[in-house]
Order: sequence, then C-alpha cells, then structure tokens
Amino acid sequence: MTHLNRLLDKQVLFFGGKGGVGKTTSASAMAVAASRAGKRVLLVSTDPAHSTSDIFERRVGPEPVPLPGNLHGLEIDGEFESKRYIAEVKKRIEGLFGHTIQKEANKQIDLAASMPGADEMALFDRIGALVRGQDDRFDLVIFDTAPTGHTLRLIRMPELMEAWIRALSRSRQAMMGIQHDEQNDPVMQSLSERLEHLREFRARLLSPRVCAFVLVLVAERLPIEETARAIDQLQDAGVAIGGLIVNRVLPDSSPDPFLQSRHAQEQVYLDEIDRRFASHRRVRVPQLPSDVHGVTTLEQLAAILVERTH
Amino acid sequence: MTLRDNIRDFFHGAAYGAYERELRLQAAELNDLFLLLCYMEIVGLPNPATLYLLDVYPYLLEQFHLWHKRMGMDRSPLGNLPCC
Repeated sequence: MTHLNRLLDKQVLFFGGKGGVGKTTSASAMAVAASRAGKRVLLVSTDPAHSTSDIFERRVGPEPVPLPGNLHGLEIDGEFESKRYIAEVKKRIEGLFGHTIQKEANKQIDLAASMPGADEMALFDRIGALVRGQDDRFDLVIFDTAPTGHTLRLIRMPELMEAWIRALSRSRQAMMGIQHDEQNDPVMQSLSERLEHLREFRARLLSPRVCAFVLVLVAERLPIEETARAIDQLQDAGVAIGGLIVNRVLPDSSPDPFLQSRHAQEQVYLDEIDRRFASHRRVRVPQLPSDVHGVTTLEQLAAILVERTH
Repeated sequence: MTLRDNIRDFFHGAAYGAYERELRLQAAELNDLFLLLCYMEIVGLPNPATLYLLDVYPYLLEQFHLWHKRMGMDRSPLGNLPCC
C-alpha cells in the first residue's frame, strides 16, 4: 500500500479538489502526521468558508494559533489581509511627504482598497509571503485551499503579476534612463522589491523539491473528471503533483445489499482512478464509521496517509 | 563656477544641446505611459497590480500634476483623482 511519506520533506503542500471531498480533513490529517514526524507545521486555510476551527474544535483566526496535535493553524481572511496591507502602506509613506500629498495619497489608497479584487489580491500576497517561507517558525506550510478553480487561478497569479510588474518597471526604467538616476528612484525601488518577491514565490511554487500539490477526490464521476483537469492544468503550470488521496472508500465486507451495490459501483470508479492516474501516487482512505473531528480521529487518518517509520 | 566648469558645460551643451529637447519629450511620453499603466483602474481598465502600486502613488501624484499641466489642463481632469 502506498503512503505519502515523501511529502514530509517538502516545505509547502497544497491540498485541492472539488468541494466536499474532504480537503480540510485530509490537509488536517497530513498536518498531524507531519507534526508527529517532528516537523513544525503551519496549517493554512485559504477557503473563504473556513472549517479548520470546526475540525480542531478550536478557534482559528487570521494569525497562527497553536492547535491540538502540536501544530499551528491559520485561516486567511481576504478582508482582514486587505485592511492590514492598506495600514502597512499608509504607515510606510507616513512622514515621507507633505501633509497635502499625504492626504490625497491616503484618499487614493482607500479608493484602491475598495476596488473589486483587492481582497483577493491581499489574500494572494499573504499566501506568497507564506510560500516564500517568511515565517521561520515553521518547516512545513500546508495549504487547505478553496475548490479547484479558484486555487488554479491563484497558482497562475505570480506569473501574471510578475509579467505586469516587469512591464511597469521596464517602462519606468526606460524613462529613468533618460532623466535621472534609477538607483535612487523610490518607485523603481518599490517595483524591484515586488518583482523580487514574486520571482521567489514562483520559483518556490515550481520547485518540486519545495512544493507539491495533493489532490483529494472521492470515487465518483465528477470528482474524477475534475481531478483529471486539475492535474492537466497544474502540470501545465509546472507545479509538481504530490499524490492523490481517494477519500471515503467503502468497506467491502458489508452483508447489506444496499452497501454491496454501492461498493460494486464504487469499484468501477476505483479501477478507473487506478487506470487514469497510474503515474501518480494514490492513497485510499476508508470511510470511517463516524465524522472526523478532534485530534483522535485525525490521528487515525494520519496513520493511513503517512506510515510511521519509528 | 571655475573656468574648468565653464569649459565642461560649454562642450556638454555643444554636444547634447540639440538632442536635449528630443530626449525630454521622449522621457515625458514614457512617463505618461507609466502613469497610464499605474492609473488604469481610474480610467476604467482592470489592473491586476493595483494593490502593489499603492506605495508608489504618493510619488506619482506630483507627476500626475505635471502631466495635466503639460496637457493644457489647469485642474485634474479626473474627478476620482483629485489634484488641484
């Protein structure tokens, strides 16, 4: 039977999949497993509909908090991040300018913050900082992401932003080349710093040594199709696939004819999963007799995902 | 000003004077393009980098002022970007 032990050596893991297949549960179980293997783990939820709090039965917020199972949790909130970002920018420009410019600039900054997409971008910025390993208290950051489409867009974003900022700094550079000295231009400095961060974000995202994407699915038609699409797109973007978690597999020993029929149906899909995703590591997680919440059940799952070596 | 400076300036003027106007114009045009790229959102074009440009806005306000003056407008033509 396969395990996902190899993923413990990574620094960043993303868990994705269709809504309701058990991403949060799988990501949490992986976090517990990694923490047991001696890693300092941060579990980050990026789904606006957070459920880390529910599964760990602890309140989790926009800053890392300790969770049972010897790990830390964080639920990213776009609105909170956007407010924090704006406050930081305002603070940074404080005292650099005269009163009038400062007032006008603050007005503009507030306006920009209310534009559609500002929250999403602030969320992206926070994810970027975490992927870059900004918080050195952790060895491994596990992202429990929103349903696939949203996440794939997020994965593509560093590339897009990098192209944008690069175009901007080229344009600025061309002008500065004629007019002034670009080393001392604060605009150029700010753009270069952004560009540097985006490059690092992308480099880490695309490094198979650092980062991998785990896809969670159940043995049903639609999740299989979505997984196939996600794999195509991730590979297209150059992100390494860490493995597949086939969740909620029914036990085959039931005498109940209803369950037996469900099981026979499921077997067809399980075969299809084995056939279509043969080149990826796959772990089957059985349907548990009760809901997963609290560390005890997570530890059961953790033992299925990662084989204990000691 | 020493004689040395005077001589240097003389030769600098002789060599670059003719091009200076041209260069200034070109720099102004590039600057306008840069401003447009930064303020796309205000003229109604989506700009994915808006949030990343926030900390350069104050530096650009002055240039925005120079731009609308150069374009022959005494006051800011954009209502949502007040200038003077």
